[in-house]
Amino acid sequence: MKGVKTIFNISLKARFGSLKLDLGYKGSKRVLGVFGVSGAGKTTFLECLAGLRKVMSGQITVAGEIWLDTDTSCFVPTEKRHIGYVPQDHLLFPHKNVLGNLEAGKARAVQGGQDFQGILKKVVAVLELEPLLDRSIDQLSGGERQRVSLGRALCSGPKLLLLDEPLASLDLLLRRKILPFLIRIKEAFELPIVVVSHNPTELQVLCDEVLILENGRNVMTGSPNELFTSDSLFDVAKEHGFENVFSGTIIEKSDQVDGLSLSGKDGDLCIQIPATDALLGERVLASIGFENVLIGLDQPRGLSARNCLSATISRVENAGTRWLVHAVVVDAVPEFVVEVTYDAIEALQLESGARIYLVFKTSSVSTLTG
Amino acid sequence: MPTIYETVSSTLLWAVVASLIVAVPGLTIAYLLARREFFGKKVLSTFTTLPLVLPPTAVGYLLLRLFADDGWLGRERLGFDLDIILSWKAVVIACSIMSFPIFVRTARVAFEEVNPRLERMGRTLGMGRQKVFLSITLPLASRGLIAATLLGFTRALGEFGATIILAGNIPGRTQTLASALFSAQQSGNETLANQLLGVSLLVGFIAVYTTERLASKRSLRREQTG
Repeated sequence: MKGVKTIFNISLKARFGSLKLDLGYKGSKRVLGVFGVSGAGKTTFLECLAGLRKVMSGQITVAGEIWLDTDTSCFVPTEKRHIGYVPQDHLLFPHKNVLGNLEAGKARAVQGGQDFQGILKKVVAVLELEPLLDRSIDQLSGGERQRVSLGRALCSGPKLLLLDEPLASLDLLLRRKILPFLIRIKEAFELPIVVVSHNPTELQVLCDEVLILENGRNVMTGSPNELFTSDSLFDVAKEHGFENVFSGTIIEKSDQVDGLSLSGKDGDLCIQIPATDALLGERVLASIGFENVLIGLDQPRGLSARNCLSATISRVENAGTRWLVHAVVVDAVPEFVVEVTYDAIEALQLESGARIYLVFKTSSVSTLTG
Repeated sequence: MPTIYETVSSTLLWAVVASLIVAVPGLTIAYLLARREFFGKKVLSTFTTLPLVLPPTAVGYLLLRLFADDGWLGRERLGFDLDIILSWKAVVIACSIMSFPIFVRTARVAFEEVNPRLERMGRTLGMGRQKVFLSITLPLASRGLIAATLLGFTRALGEFGATIILAGNIPGRTQTLASALFSAQQSGNETLANQLLGVSLLVGFIAVYTTERLASKRSLRREQTG
């Protein structure tokens, strides 16, 4: 395509113990996800990108910079690659306080001609680190460590951010607190990002494109929604908590429920979700399981379920042992996916183009942030 | 006869000089043994440990052969005299060689305790190997390195066997705390022997106590962070 710049151009061949890495990827999407079960080679792949592992043969070009080309014996060492690496276990420097950790990559940022104080200020604001700056590392909670580790990587003025399972070490409650920060980073810093995760929802929220890794090989590439609802991946993805994810703005609050506007303005697209800690006007990510949505041909009456959205079926497809109905509510909102039995498809004559109603209970919606 | 003060202060001075001499090669070898894989690593490790397991007199005799007129570093081979034997330089050399193994072994453990992944994090933040060593490895290993220095220093302070063979036991010239105590005891000067014993106990206690304190602080910190 004309005008679209290739961001990632990667091909790697390497063997580390029993793991054989053999993959190629070329893409122009800014945020790339890498999905795979443990042992698939996700972290090894990141370490190769970072230059922390030597590969037998391959090329790595990121945003126009060649970091590796075994044909011309080009190998740019880790310290010269301008990467921000956030490992799963944070790895903060225990002999420095929070500010000291944030300043660890200062020399490179300055050498790269960047305004370090400006970046530091922005990072502190985006990640809300101000109250932590003087603290020592052992005074930080898990979520705070994660934020400092993200901040340290960003402050070094990277040209590529590598996130290794950014939420895996945190409990559910903390994930909801950290995920918004990751989204903010994605929006506030115009950086290419590679996120490694075994959590499909996380990748769906953060990534433009996902690469599926299996035994060191990339078996599929595509948009997260497309991949995770595909025949071969749906069961695995669902097992790892894959659901419909949608974002919206809180426009109403009461004791038990919040009103979430999916479009941000249109009153018709307001759904009820269980009460959150989010404030009015705040953006929230919510999710609902595929099996928790009902399909009606007519607008239902006399139901206790509070949410009913009018939609159009875009496709009906078979995914493993299940059948999935993809439905578009409005163009701006991601497609809803509903899991139904083949019987239901036949009885309701569900096919692409059909007008339907999506019905779900308030309590079956859970929030990923807020 | 030199006073106790003179004996003690020259012993301390020699031990300090020996510790300084040991520091740079000791740190280098300890770091290489802790962090790198190379051909002959085990041989190097064995050689650096050897003075710890040999009788100190054997090491002293080996050094004597080395610096003797017809030795590898003797006058006949070099063409000039290093003037080592029976001088204060001999004391320093004997002390350095004898304290080297304990310094290297302790420093090696200190380096090994630093999580290598933290060093790799430093590299991802743009630090070259030297900067990683200076701003991550060294500060994180610092307590262990101080302990290594103190242990090496006390070993040098108490050196006797190798010193007495290479440097002799000349009062006012090469006599150390250890050899002075030996002479006092041999000549039946109990008062002097007791005084020297007191000083030895005091210096030894301070050094080991400091090491213990550093070690306990280190393990406490590891418990908190790990």
